[in-house]
Amino acid sequence: MATAKTTVTVGLDADPPNLDPVFSSALVDRQVLNQIYDKLLDIDQDLKIVPMLATSWSVGNNGTVYTFKLRQGVKFHDGTDFDAEAVKFNLDRALTAEGSRRKGELAPVKEVQVVDKYTVRVVLKDAFSPFLYVLTDRAGMMVSPAAAKRYGQDLANNPVGTGPFRFVERKRQDRIVLQRNEGYWKRGYPKIDELIYRPFPDDDVRLANLLSGAVTVITPVAPKDLARVRGDANLNLFAFPSLGFQGVWLNVTRPPFNNKALRQAFAATVDRETIDRVVFLGTATPANGPFPPGSPAYDPSIPIPKRDINLARKKLQETGFASGFSFTLLTTPGPVLTQLAQVYQAMAAEAGIRIQIQQVEFGTLLDRTDKKDYEAALLGWSGRPDPDGNIYDFMRCGGPLNNAGYCNPKVDALLNRARATRVMEVRRSLYSEALRIIHEDVPYVYVYHPQVLIGASKRLSGLPLIPDGILRFVGAELK
Amino acid sequence: MIPYLLRRLVEALPTLFLVSVVVFFLTRILPGDPVRLLLGEEPDPKVAEEVRRSLGLDRPLLVQYAGWLWNLFQGDLGRSIKDGTPVARLILEKLPTTIELATLAMLVALAIGLPSGVVAAVRRGTWLDGLVTSTSLMGVSVPNFFLGIMLIYLFSLRLGWVPPSGYVELWTDPKRNLLLMVLPAFTLGTALAGAIARFTRNSLLEVLSQDYIRTAKAKGVSSAAIVLKHGLRNAAIPIVTVLGLQLGGLLGGAVVTEQIFSIPGFGRLVVDAVFTRDFTVLQGVVLTSALAVFVVNTAVDVLYALIDPRIRYR
Repeated sequence: MATAKTTVTVGLDADPPNLDPVFSSALVDRQVLNQIYDKLLDIDQDLKIVPMLATSWSVGNNGTVYTFKLRQGVKFHDGTDFDAEAVKFNLDRALTAEGSRRKGELAPVKEVQVVDKYTVRVVLKDAFSPFLYVLTDRAGMMVSPAAAKRYGQDLANNPVGTGPFRFVERKRQDRIVLQRNEGYWKRGYPKIDELIYRPFPDDDVRLANLLSGAVTVITPVAPKDLARVRGDANLNLFAFPSLGFQGVWLNVTRPPFNNKALRQAFAATVDRETIDRVVFLGTATPANGPFPPGSPAYDPSIPIPKRDINLARKKLQETGFASGFSFTLLTTPGPVLTQLAQVYQAMAAEAGIRIQIQQVEFGTLLDRTDKKDYEAALLGWSGRPDPDGNIYDFMRCGGPLNNAGYCNPKVDALLNRARATRVMEVRRSLYSEALRIIHEDVPYVYVYHPQVLIGASKRLSGLPLIPDGILRFVGAELK
Repeated sequence: MIPYLLRRLVEALPTLFLVSVVVFFLTRILPGDPVRLLLGEEPDPKVAEEVRRSLGLDRPLLVQYAGWLWNLFQGDLGRSIKDGTPVARLILEKLPTTIELATLAMLVALAIGLPSGVVAAVRRGTWLDGLVTSTSLMGVSVPNFFLGIMLIYLFSLRLGWVPPSGYVELWTDPKRNLLLMVLPAFTLGTALAGAIARFTRNSLLEVLSQDYIRTAKAKGVSSAAIVLKHGLRNAAIPIVTVLGLQLGGLLGGAVVTEQIFSIPGFGRLVVDAVFTRDFTVLQGVVLTSALAVFVVNTAVDVLYALIDPRIRYR
C-alpha cells in the first residue's frame, strides 16, 4: 500500500505500570493490554458477553462446569499457535504464579482441562455466576506460552498476545508504541498502523495536547474542561456512565461512626443532585447503590436518597448529639476532590456536623483505610461488569475492600447466594434486599457514578463506547 | 590537583554512607505500603504476603539495609519494586534527559542573568537597575508550575509555535528535541537567571568599587574592558559558587518541570517512585543525586583555581 502510515496517539492520565495481565493491578494498564491481548470473551456496549477467542460456551453441572469452543487459526504475535493448551497454560499461570493478582477473581476455579485442540473445560469448586465476566478482563487475556516461558517476570516489558496490535517499545513515563498486527484473525482489521500511548498526569497538559492536535484522543477529560472540548470544532466529546461508584466510607469500628444514628445523620445531609451539578457540572449520575443504571443489577425501585436535614437533626437529637459532632474526612489532593470535600463539609455543617478535611497522598490514604485508621474517607471503585465485582469484597465481613469494617451476616448470606445464582432477575432481587439493609446500616454513602469522559479528534471514528471505559482500537479509523 | 581530587573523594564517602542510611530509613518511615500500592484494586491478603516475600520486604529492616548496601558495594543498585527493572538501567535511561534539561536551563539562566546583572551594576541606581532587580526577584519567586502552564498556554495554544509537551531523544531528532526543550528550559532557567542576575550585580558592584578599578580608569582603559576584563573576572567566584549551589535547586525544579512538560527524566522517576513507594528506585535516585551534587561541587572548586590563579590545590 502506498498510503501514508496512520498513527493514533492516546493521552492517558498515568503511565501504565505493568503490561503483564497476570501482574497488572492498575486500571490504566487495561487501556494498553486490551490492544495487545485478546480475551476469551468480551463485553459489548450493553454489558452483554460476546465471543472473542472463545466462539461459544456452555455451562453444565449446576453452574460448575464451563466448556469453551475456541477460535481456530489464531496465532500469537510470535508466530506460535493459539489453542486449548495455551488457554490451560494461561489460566494455570494466573492461578499459580507467585504474586499473581488474578488469584482472587479466579479463586473458584478448581481445574482447567484440555478436551481437544480447540475445546477447553473449566471446572469450578462451587457455582460462581460472575465467572464469564471474569474472563472478559485480564484473567481472560491470552499470553503466548512460549513468550511467558522465555521472558518470565520480564514479560511485562515484552508482551506477546494475539491482539490487533503488537508491542514495539516502551519508554517509561514517556510512551508505549504498538504496531498493527498484520496477521490479525479478524480479516481487514485493525485499520490504523500505529498506536502510541503517552501519559500526561496533569489535566491541563493532557487537554493542551488534545487541543493542539499533538494527541488524537485523551481519557479522562477533567469535568472542568468539558466545555472546552465541546466548544472545539475539531473535537468530539464522548460521555457515558462508567461501571464504578464513588462515595464516603464511614469507619464503623470506632467513634464517631460506630454509632449508627450518626452515620445516618451524616448520610441524610448529602445532596446528590447538588454535587452532580456543582462539582461535576452534570456529568455524574446520582447513585442509589453500587450498581450504575445500565448494570443488570440496577434496581430503579430503590430510591436515590434525598437530602433530609430534619432527619439528620432528629437522628442527632435521639442519640444525645443535639449540638452536633465532628469528624475528619480523609481525601487525596486534586481540584475535584477538594471541591467535593468542601461541598460535603458545607452540607453537613447545616445539621451541626463539623467536618475537618484532611488531605493525604493516595498511598497514605490506602494505608489508613486498610488499617481502619480513619473516621471517614472519600474512596470509590472503578467498577466491574458483573455486579458481584461492585459489592462482594466491599460489604461482606472481612472482605479485602471492606474499609468500613462492616459486618452483617444477613448481608453476607444474600451476597453469597447471589454469586451462586445464575438467573440475573433472582440475583437482582437478592442484591436489592442486601442494599436495603446496607442503606439502613450506612457503612458507605453511595453518592454518584462517574462518567467515562473521552475527548477525541473528529478525524477518529470507529471507537465503540463500552462502559468499562477502555478504548478498543481494533475498528478505529483515522480520516 | 590529582591528590586533591582523590582526597575529596575519600572525604565524600562518609557523606554518601550517611545519605544511604538516611534515604533508606526515611523511605521506610513514609506511611504507605509498596505492596498495597502494587496490588492496587486487588488487595488480596494472601497475594500480598506472596508479593512481600518475593520482594524481600518481609525481612527485618536492618537485614534489608545490609543486603542493599552489600549489593551497592558490588555496583548493584537493585531492582524496581514496581516492575523488577534494574534501578541502574532506569537511572541511565533517565539521567541524560535531565542533564540535557539542566544544562539548557543553565545556559538560559546565564544568557539572561549575566548580562542583566552586569547592566544593573554598571547602571546602578537608574531605572534599568530597578527593572533588573525587580524582574529578577519575580524570576526567583514565580513557581515553576505556574510559569510552565502559562508558557504552554501562550506559546503552544495561543501562538502555536511549539508543541505543548512531550519528548524526543536528542539523537533521534535533534531539531524536535530542542523545540520541545525550549519551554521547559526557560521555565527551569528563569528562577536561576534571577539568582544569577542578583549575585552578578552585587558581586560586580563590590569589585567596581576597588582601588585597582580606579587605577585602571585613571590609566584610560575603556569602561567596557574594565567591566568585562577586570570586573567580571574578579566577580566570577561568587557567581560560580551560586551556580554550583543551585544545582540542587535545579534538580528539585526539574521534578516539577518534567511533570508539567511530560519529560521522562529523573524528576518524573522520583515522583513516580515516591507515589508508588518504589523504595529501591528512590534510594538509587537519591544516592545518584547526592553523588551529582558532590561532583559539581568538586568541579566548582576546580573552577576557582582556573578563574583565580592565586588559588592552588594540593
